[in-house]
Amino acid sequence: MASIQLSGLTKFYGKRRGVEEVSLEVGDQEFLTVFGPAGAGKTTTLNLIAGIVTPDRGSIRIGDKIVDALEPADRNVAMVFESYALYPQFTVYQNMAFPLRSPKHRLPAAEVDQRVRHFATMLKIDHLLDRQIQALSNGQRQRTALGRALVRRPDVFLMDEPLSHLDAKLRHSMRAELKEMRGQLGTTTIYVTHDYLEAMSLGDRVAVINQGRILQVGTPGEVYFRPATVEVAQLFGDPEINLIEAKIRNRQSTSVRVEALGEDWSFSITPEIGSALDKLPGDNVQLGFRPADVTVGVNGNSSLHGVVYSFEPLGTKSVLTIDSVAGQRVRALVDGHKTFQVDRRIEFTVPSVSLIFFDPESTRYLVRSTRTEGDD
Amino acid sequence: MFLGEGAGAFNHRSWNAPMSTTVSSPQTQLSALPPGGSASKESIAHARRRRFRPYLVLAPALILTIGIFIPFIAAICLSFTDYSLNSSDVSFIGFDNYLSMLQSSDFWHSLWITIEYAFLCTAVEMLLGVGVALLLNDENIVARFLRIVLIFPLMIAPVIGTLIWKLITNPSVGILVGPMRMIGLGDFKWAASPDSAMFSLVVVDAWVYTPFVIILVLAGLRSLPKSPYEAALIDGGSPWFVFKNLTLPMLAPVLLITLVFRLMLSLQEFSIIFALTEGGPGDATMSLSLQAYNRAFPFYGLAEAIPMMLFLWALVYFVSFILIGFWRRAQQRAAGVA
Amino acid sequence: MIQSRSPLAKIGKGLQILLLLAYAVFALFPLLWMFIMSIKPDSQMLTTTFIFTPTLENYATVLHSDYMQFFFNNLIVSVAAVLVSLVVGVPAAYALARFQFKGKEDIAFTILSFRFAPEILVILPLYLIYQRLGLYDTYFGLIWVYQLITLPLLIWILRGFFEDISPDIEAAAQLDGYTWWQVFLRVLLPLVKPGLVAAGLLCFIFAWNSFTFPLLLSNNVQTSTVIALRYLASDTVHYGQVAAAAAISALPEVILALLIQKHLVRGLSFGAVKG
Repeated sequence: MASIQLSGLTKFYGKRRGVEEVSLEVGDQEFLTVFGPAGAGKTTTLNLIAGIVTPDRGSIRIGDKIVDALEPADRNVAMVFESYALYPQFTVYQNMAFPLRSPKHRLPAAEVDQRVRHFATMLKIDHLLDRQIQALSNGQRQRTALGRALVRRPDVFLMDEPLSHLDAKLRHSMRAELKEMRGQLGTTTIYVTHDYLEAMSLGDRVAVINQGRILQVGTPGEVYFRPATVEVAQLFGDPEINLIEAKIRNRQSTSVRVEALGEDWSFSITPEIGSALDKLPGDNVQLGFRPADVTVGVNGNSSLHGVVYSFEPLGTKSVLTIDSVAGQRVRALVDGHKTFQVDRRIEFTVPSVSLIFFDPESTRYLVRSTRTEGDD
Repeated sequence: MFLGEGAGAFNHRSWNAPMSTTVSSPQTQLSALPPGGSASKESIAHARRRRFRPYLVLAPALILTIGIFIPFIAAICLSFTDYSLNSSDVSFIGFDNYLSMLQSSDFWHSLWITIEYAFLCTAVEMLLGVGVALLLNDENIVARFLRIVLIFPLMIAPVIGTLIWKLITNPSVGILVGPMRMIGLGDFKWAASPDSAMFSLVVVDAWVYTPFVIILVLAGLRSLPKSPYEAALIDGGSPWFVFKNLTLPMLAPVLLITLVFRLMLSLQEFSIIFALTEGGPGDATMSLSLQAYNRAFPFYGLAEAIPMMLFLWALVYFVSFILIGFWRRAQQRAAGVA
Repeated sequence: MIQSRSPLAKIGKGLQILLLLAYAVFALFPLLWMFIMSIKPDSQMLTTTFIFTPTLENYATVLHSDYMQFFFNNLIVSVAAVLVSLVVGVPAAYALARFQFKGKEDIAFTILSFRFAPEILVILPLYLIYQRLGLYDTYFGLIWVYQLITLPLLIWILRGFFEDISPDIEAAAQLDGYTWWQVFLRVLLPLVKPGLVAAGLLCFIFAWNSFTFPLLLSNNVQTSTVIALRYLASDTVHYGQVAAAAAISALPEVILALLIQKHLVRGLSFGAVKG
């Protein structure tokens, strides 16, 4: 039983910022994913919790214990490293048994054996137990590293990009397995990844971090559909979210007319959006919409116009880049069956429900239509 | 059950639950954490203990290092006195030892011998070593055999090596007497003549240390990346062109570090010279180390000897400092080539 | 690299092997000659070159002389010097490899710089200090001064080996419930063992070969390396015995050299070149 509470954690490596003022709470048995680009401070956060790195400021609580003064061995935390950090001189079995033979977690030999075999079976590496680490594939090493963390039944699991060195197919299947395992174990877990799909599919909640600061913590739905800032919106999704500047020309109770992408564009709005727009100091607003929400080739008065700039088929979907009237490019994710000639003139629409409104000054989230996550 | 008050709005199980439309700030605002909001006394002590650990682990070595350091400090102190091994009263005489050193023709002669010895040995060993290493970077039976036995001359004591060469060039039992006579050098006196003493020293030094150059350069050659060579092969470069423009720049770091090692050690070589010529005949091979030894021991002039050695140390440092600078740059450049 | 079978290339190949053989003769003949002399009886020393009646008499004489005492002196001093360096140097190498702390590179270079200070410079003041402290002509005195040879070498070689181990492994072991000290003993030391053995043996070889320090800082407690040279300087020269003494002194190193071949490059270059 252990929740985790980080308060004001700050760590600088010389002048370089590792993390700054990171505050976060993870509930008991919660699976929190920490998502951010390379160098965002994800690993530093894990190392701080594990006690591998000591913070300059701030405090960490695991369960009801403040662990700031505890050595890594005394925190009852298990970690899966990005590099796996297996002991190269040992076999798979010895690697997995190593924690259970330590002075801290020592168990009778029979129980060690039973636990190692149990988790090896669960991870499908029971046939490899006598292998040397050098003789394992990347995927098998990854499972061994996971096994070494699991046998301990620690208060907290920390996982540092455990899937990042696997090839795409294996990563997918391991993601599914992890998700399944998660349910069985029910241990509080912090899982670090730079893959937004992994972050959203595995996490009960996602903490978005960049440049050493937490940008947003929320359910996968929240961070995806209601990103706290433009930055968060940009971090999720591939192709990246479209961001355009709009000038409000005329606002009525259920619709608004804006000037965006060099065109006049009218769309309907909900009362919540209306009142949020009213609170803006000026006429400008920043609009975000996901490429998947763009519909191409629909006629109507809400259509926008452009010219096909590039077309990349990706199988079931294709990425279409459109030069808008104003010249700004808009990305659209379209059905894989359709093809588009470069330089062809097209019309496209963006449903108003998929628009995310940002304050252009602070780049913070303003509002978005209610009917969202249920449909997606 | 698991969230702070401020985060309560984002109950993580409510993935599909209807949400309020406007989230004034979806960035989770955590309430100030009650306990341990700032680092506790305990954790500060812990951090301090951790910061101290490196020095603790180093401590034995540092103490020993200080122990080793004492002679150097003592040397500097002694160089300002008229201390000698046969008199007991000592007085401070400032820079007199240094001044008399600079005025002594023996010092300048020895400095010249030292530089000559270091230059000749290093040049011969580098050229011979690089040449042999290039020839050895190949798979044939001679190369394979030589790569193994090569290290023997390097591993046995230089003094023992010198001893063997003394036996070889010995006029009564030496194996070289016959062959030398055959090529008309029957009266070649090796270390016994002032004209050939330096030559003899260089032969012995080269015998001992050329394998050092070979081993390092060979390691450098073998770690060269293959792809630039494949590219050069496709571009059709001549072997010399490839060597000059690819091998040499990529090998430069290894060559420089080898040069540093050889220069530093040959500048202060004592045992080979002592064993073969003792600085003679006359003072034909009286390098600074030998000169200092002779001043200090048979003639008790300790205080005169020390400035010479400090001078030599400074010289070694100066040379190696410059070369290590080159080495660092060469490493960066080589990384660029590779 | 470039494979061609032209006659020119064949001549080149032949020339290459010829040159290598020439160097091999230069490098190995002196050792062979030493061996030949050591098994040649004194009576045939001046009259024969390669054809003689081999004998082990020279070895027997040397083995029964007090030379063996000096041989063991050398062994005691060198082994002890290496052990002291290991005890002190292994943690130091680890600290210099792993921790980030103030003055780290300065400390590392200071340690290295001792190796490249002129030996006579160290000996002159030490000669005085040793006589004052009663360390002159003692095992302890030699073991201390040998640290100049062994410690920098050991620290610099091992530092490279420790740097090759991922810090993650250490962190993993700590999280697995081991204290820092247990991690060091149970995980790290086994991982650097090959480097440890190689560095230790190389240190031993250099300590064993040391000549100037025992020559000038010791008298009765003397090592075989120094004594071998003194043999030749003595009035009644038995060349065969000198050669046998040299061979006995060289033997341990020839054996050890073969054992550490794999790590020799790293050792000889103080870790600057990774072989």
